[in-house]
Amino acid sequence: MSRVLIAAYRLMIVAVLVSCSPAPQNQVAGTVDLNNLQPLPTASGHNAVPLRVAIAAVISPKGTLESYSPFLFYLETKLNRPVELIQRRTYLEVNDLIEHGEVDIAFVCTSAYVQGHDTFGMELLVAPQVDGKTTYNSVLIVPTKSDGQSMDDLRGKVFAFTDPISLSGRVYPTSLVHQLGFTPEEFFARTFFTYSHDEAIRAVASGLADGAAVDSLVYAFALARDPSLKAKLRVIHTSPDFGIPPVVVSPFTRPQVAAELQALLLGMATDPDAAHALASVGIERFVLIEDGAYDSVRIILQEIPIPQTP
Amino acid sequence: MIVRKLVQWFWDIVGAVSVRTKILGIVLGFIVLLGAGVTVQARYAVTTTMTAQLEEQSVSISRDLAARSADPILLNDLLRLHDLLDETLANNSNVRYAFLLDSRGQVIVSTFEGGFPLDLLTLNSTQPSDHHHTTLIQTDEGLIWDTAVPILDGKVGSARIGLSDASMRAALSTLTAQLLLTILLVSTTGVLVAIFLTWILTRPIISLARATQEVAKGDFSQRVKRWANDEIGDLADAFNKMSEELAITDELRREREMLRRQLLEKVITTQEDERRRIARELHDSTSQNLTSLIVGLRIMETYCQQCAAQSKASDLREVASHTLDEVHDLSMRLRPRVLDDLGLAAALERLASEWQGRYKIPVDVVIQLNERLPGEVETAIYRIVQEALTNIARHASAHSASVLVERRGDLVRAIVEDDGIGFDVNTDHGERHLGLLGMRERAELLNGTLTIESTTERGTSIFIEIPLDLSPPLLSPDLPTIRL
Repeated sequence: MSRVLIAAYRLMIVAVLVSCSPAPQNQVAGTVDLNNLQPLPTASGHNAVPLRVAIAAVISPKGTLESYSPFLFYLETKLNRPVELIQRRTYLEVNDLIEHGEVDIAFVCTSAYVQGHDTFGMELLVAPQVDGKTTYNSVLIVPTKSDGQSMDDLRGKVFAFTDPISLSGRVYPTSLVHQLGFTPEEFFARTFFTYSHDEAIRAVASGLADGAAVDSLVYAFALARDPSLKAKLRVIHTSPDFGIPPVVVSPFTRPQVAAELQALLLGMATDPDAAHALASVGIERFVLIEDGAYDSVRIILQEIPIPQTP
Repeated sequence: MIVRKLVQWFWDIVGAVSVRTKILGIVLGFIVLLGAGVTVQARYAVTTTMTAQLEEQSVSISRDLAARSADPILLNDLLRLHDLLDETLANNSNVRYAFLLDSRGQVIVSTFEGGFPLDLLTLNSTQPSDHHHTTLIQTDEGLIWDTAVPILDGKVGSARIGLSDASMRAALSTLTAQLLLTILLVSTTGVLVAIFLTWILTRPIISLARATQEVAKGDFSQRVKRWANDEIGDLADAFNKMSEELAITDELRREREMLRRQLLEKVITTQEDERRRIARELHDSTSQNLTSLIVGLRIMETYCQQCAAQSKASDLREVASHTLDEVHDLSMRLRPRVLDDLGLAAALERLASEWQGRYKIPVDVVIQLNERLPGEVETAIYRIVQEALTNIARHASAHSASVLVERRGDLVRAIVEDDGIGFDVNTDHGERHLGLLGMRERAELLNGTLTIESTTERGTSIFIEIPLDLSPPLLSPDLPTIRL
């Protein structure tokens, strides 16, 4: 009995001691009056005018940032001026920026170039060369488990488009459906836009879509970055060669700036410092290209019109 | 020293209150102490847990926000960012604010409307390699856990979230209020139970105390109930046993006292009777004989003038006459006939007169009695006054004395005073003490009282009061009487 009492007494003492010790208080970093609201200072301008680089959402914004960071850093170093990356959700929004001179240089999709060139005078600067070619394809991919062999087998399935004006992601697969005598709305059970090629790849790999048509360059790049995709995806159709998505300048870009940029980009192939920047975006070198390289695209676009305004 | 004072203070308080208050105090004190301890402990535990939870929540919400805001920031989708912040605010009641910074530290969007507390910007920041960085900020609305999380390693910017501890404080207040209410309820219940328990506990003690007071007053018939089979029950049994024993002892003592007083009364009565008989004998027979002898001797003196024996007869007559005076005196002292024949007043006046003549001390006698008193009262007062006067003559060295006897209703009162040297009533022993005892015995035998007031050099007063309602309880018929 007395042992129990002593134990209880000890417990009480411990409890009292613990209770008396101060509550845990982290160090307070400072004091703020949350209701004292002041106008935010406007961003202090750059010391130098930045080079505004737009990159169309061929791959997702995060992916773009990660891939292009070394490239942009290279430009920054070589040009000795800040470089500002500008991304937009759709190709049309990027075209809009180019049209109004809100960017200096842009990486655009093939169809976006054709549309921009033909409507407001978007100018070709250089084209990337990949695997020795300045062409690319649209590849029709399905999940490995799928038994589809051609577009015909995707009837009544779910299909993922990339961007409304993407050649490889929407225009070319739509033309395939047209050849079968349907519109995409009639042919597929459901379609949706992922607004980037890597997202379309992800949609098929995860089984969300039964098929998608993507940029062959992006597909190869995605497989290289994530080899596990090889086991999940299968290519069932490859389009004819199209002109590769080019690097363009706005009609408002000053000619000497355009020339300087062109020289810099073309010189990257021989600059050892540029190796990492080129590798990170999966490009061997930049080369000059003629507008005629995109004539085959113009034929398809006549058949499958794309939206003209964002 | 302080400890001793505290202990003394404690005992002063504890000693001054009843057992009921003590038990109530113990119960209340214990409940309150326990309750206070539990409250403090619970507050501490809840504070610790909720603080950790808030920090965790702060981190998870801000990391979620950072992950979801990367693309909209890159796409410059301000509406989407605004919606994201609104969602964050709406879905987490603890979030006080949220805002997003670009890679240059400029605020892109925030949940503050119409401005921004600029001091907030500098209070927390992250490095690209950080998982998160949480700091505690004191605001006008309480403490805020501010967590900053870099977005895409800081390339895109960072997300900041402020979690208010208001909900924690509210929870703490609720908890405290509930605990205090519980303590109040438990205290109330505890007090009621304690009142009931103390009633059970103190009831036998109070009845014991009451019975003990009655016993102290002489009522030995008191018995207490044995309420329970515990120590107090044993005490009650012991008390009852003691009461019984006391009752028996008291009965014995009363019987003995009765016998003693009857004996004393008998002795006194017998003594008075004997004295009266001897006095009468002396007066009637011896005095008559002596008178006859004196008459004979005078005749012999007259008729025998030449006789040589004439002078001898004259001497003898002188002797006889003197003896007669002494016999009278003796008879008078043994039992003054005047007391039997004329009553107390005459007897006392005569006693005083003779006393004054003998001791040459003036004595003032005032007797206010309209009728004769019962014989035993007259005898008692006469003997008491007689003893008192004897004492004055022997011990008081008085210059004067006074005797007052008066009747007041059913009471006879006598006062004997002198202006002598007095004595200490409490310490006086010896012969005079015995005399005083005898006087008191006489008064008390008649249910009277005798009071002595004396101051050294200021004289002595003796007050005697005897009731005249004479039905002495000591001589009640159910008690055994003593035959002598």
